[in-house]
Amino acid sequence: MITIKNITKKFNDFIAVNNLSLEVKEGEILCLLGANGAGKSTTINMLLNFIEPSFGSAKINGLDVVKNPIKTKNFLTYIPENLMLYPTLTAIENLDYFCKLSGKNFDKTELKLYLTDAGLQEEAHNNRVKTFSKGMRQKVGIALAIAKESKVLLLDEPTSGLDPKSSNEFMDLLTRMKDDGVAILMATHDLFRAKEVSTHIGIMRSGKLENYSDSSKVSLKELETIYLDIMNFKNVS
Amino acid sequence: MKNIIFKELKELTRDGRFKIAIVISLILLVVATITGINQYQKNNQQYLESAETERKVWETQGEKNPHSAAHYGTYAFKPKFALSLFDYGVTKYTGNSIFLEAHNRHEASFSEATDQTSLARFGTLSINFVLIYLFPLIIILIGYNSYTKEVEHKTLTLLKSQGVHPTKLTLGKWLATFIPVFLLTAIIFLIIGIILSSLENLAFFTWSSLLAIFASYTLYYLIITTITVLISMWSKSSGMSLVSCLIIWIIFSFITPKIATNFANENHPYPSKSEFSTRIAEDRKNGLDGHNPWNKAAKKLEQETLQKYNVDSLSQLPFNYAGYRMQKGEEHEAKIYEKHYNILNEIANNQNNTYKKLSFLSPFFPIRFLSMDIANTSDNLHWKFTKAAEKYRIEKQRFLNNDIKDNSKLGERGYKMSAESFKKLPKFSFTPPTLGEILKDNTQNIFFLSLWFFIPFLGLIITSKKI
Repeated sequence: MITIKNITKKFNDFIAVNNLSLEVKEGEILCLLGANGAGKSTTINMLLNFIEPSFGSAKINGLDVVKNPIKTKNFLTYIPENLMLYPTLTAIENLDYFCKLSGKNFDKTELKLYLTDAGLQEEAHNNRVKTFSKGMRQKVGIALAIAKESKVLLLDEPTSGLDPKSSNEFMDLLTRMKDDGVAILMATHDLFRAKEVSTHIGIMRSGKLENYSDSSKVSLKELETIYLDIMNFKNVS
Repeated sequence: MKNIIFKELKELTRDGRFKIAIVISLILLVVATITGINQYQKNNQQYLESAETERKVWETQGEKNPHSAAHYGTYAFKPKFALSLFDYGVTKYTGNSIFLEAHNRHEASFSEATDQTSLARFGTLSINFVLIYLFPLIIILIGYNSYTKEVEHKTLTLLKSQGVHPTKLTLGKWLATFIPVFLLTAIIFLIIGIILSSLENLAFFTWSSLLAIFASYTLYYLIITTITVLISMWSKSSGMSLVSCLIIWIIFSFITPKIATNFANENHPYPSKSEFSTRIAEDRKNGLDGHNPWNKAAKKLEQETLQKYNVDSLSQLPFNYAGYRMQKGEEHEAKIYEKHYNILNEIANNQNNTYKKLSFLSPFFPIRFLSMDIANTSDNLHWKFTKAAEKYRIEKQRFLNNDIKDNSKLGERGYKMSAESFKKLPKFSFTPPTLGEILKDNTQNIFFLSLWFFIPFLGLIITSKKI
């Protein structure tokens, strides 16, 4: 579903992503770990064609994202760190608008169903979004992914700043989507959640993928050790 | 695209600022419409009454010497054009009646401005003001943040990740900015059109002209909309965008017109009133005087006439020479006036052309000139009116002088024209140019307006792909 091949992004002299290759198949969750500035967000932005890669190619569902900027977006849903919606519109109206932009038309009951599916309480459906917390907005984002039947979910630190309960609910939603065959790429700082939800874990440093492992084959303790080793190595060098 | 428009409009209706702006402009419009239509009806009534009374006075003046009647004079009144409601143009400063008498050509007098106190300088609330100044401002208030709000609310990333075509997004936002004011304008034109067409004694009202003014304003609003959305795309923040839009609005509607006026006056100065009268007096002195048989030109005319009819003395002519001389003198004076007024007209035309040439500075010039012309309130029309009045004056003098020439004897004192004969003088009537002629005259303005629309629109389409 998501294929990145030898991708490099340079900003003047600074190399944000360095010859990165990775793949996320259907029903997989790849969690990208790494310090701030490791190139996680840049990678996601290149998959969205917000940033054009200097070298290499990124593909969604087999289509090059630079050549098919609109087509590839129909397969994916992107949830940024702080998902913002139109404050004067209600949850339903927001969801309706974004669905329609992607060419999908639903009636009100269907939209309500998707919101409920994503865990947004019924009372909030007709409230204006300006009263919503981050967790609630994120649920609208997930509802959008469900409604669009997205094959790919791109998440950029979605749980940072969420309380443990919301965070937990969010992870449950991700697991459900994974079970439905969605390919998920998530950038995060949360080792614990990453280990719990993901099928694969990648650790990035200075734009390079330093470690790639199967989550089921590594314990949380081992993961932490690997992570710290990679980060410390930077300090030594 | 439909969805984008609906969503933008929905957001707009939930915005308090927008509601306030619309309510205020609606109130202003209602007030302006009511006062405008009342004023129009009053003025039109005045015009009709004056024209009728003046004619009655002429027809019932009884037996009189024709030349006395010529000196007594009549007035030619300028009709109140129905569409002047939408654009007052220069009517406030041009007179609405011209005194027609023997020997002298007069300027139009009794302008609205002279009937008011100097407070009139502050202007009045009119539909024309709302349409030309206020509506562009409302377009700016609707559209200045069409893009910047997406950036500031951070909704742009989510929006962009939906796979919406960027040009469609732009066109959606563009139309959503345009539609509210467009609808408002359409409603106003429709309502006023219906009210006007139901009025009696309406002067020169046609739905096609109304539609033409509506189309001109629509084009102007499209220009403002395009520039506003374009600025919103280029700006980093809503505040910057609003300030830039407002500066452009001020430059368009206030600064450039004043600069252009200075420029036009500088390059094509109008002579002062006294200068103008002196030049005419100078020319008249050396020419034929209908009253004075002893001046050089009169003597010459006498010789020529005698020769032409092959007679020895004036009494042998088949007509009254006094009337003939009077008419010749009149024709001579009319020619002098024509020459000098043509010079003035030339200067006025040059000034107008200066404005037209400066149209690249601001779309305000072409729209003003176009709408004034269609509304029959332009300087151009005033010149047409004064020329028509002068033509009528000359005809009237010929009518009266011919009566002397044909019906009285040479040297006859106390000749009087019959009371009935005065009624034979045709009435003065003035027909403004047709819409087709007006539009043809304004091709340059229409061309500039189109350019003002197409170039920013092209910029809009190009920029949309880079957002």
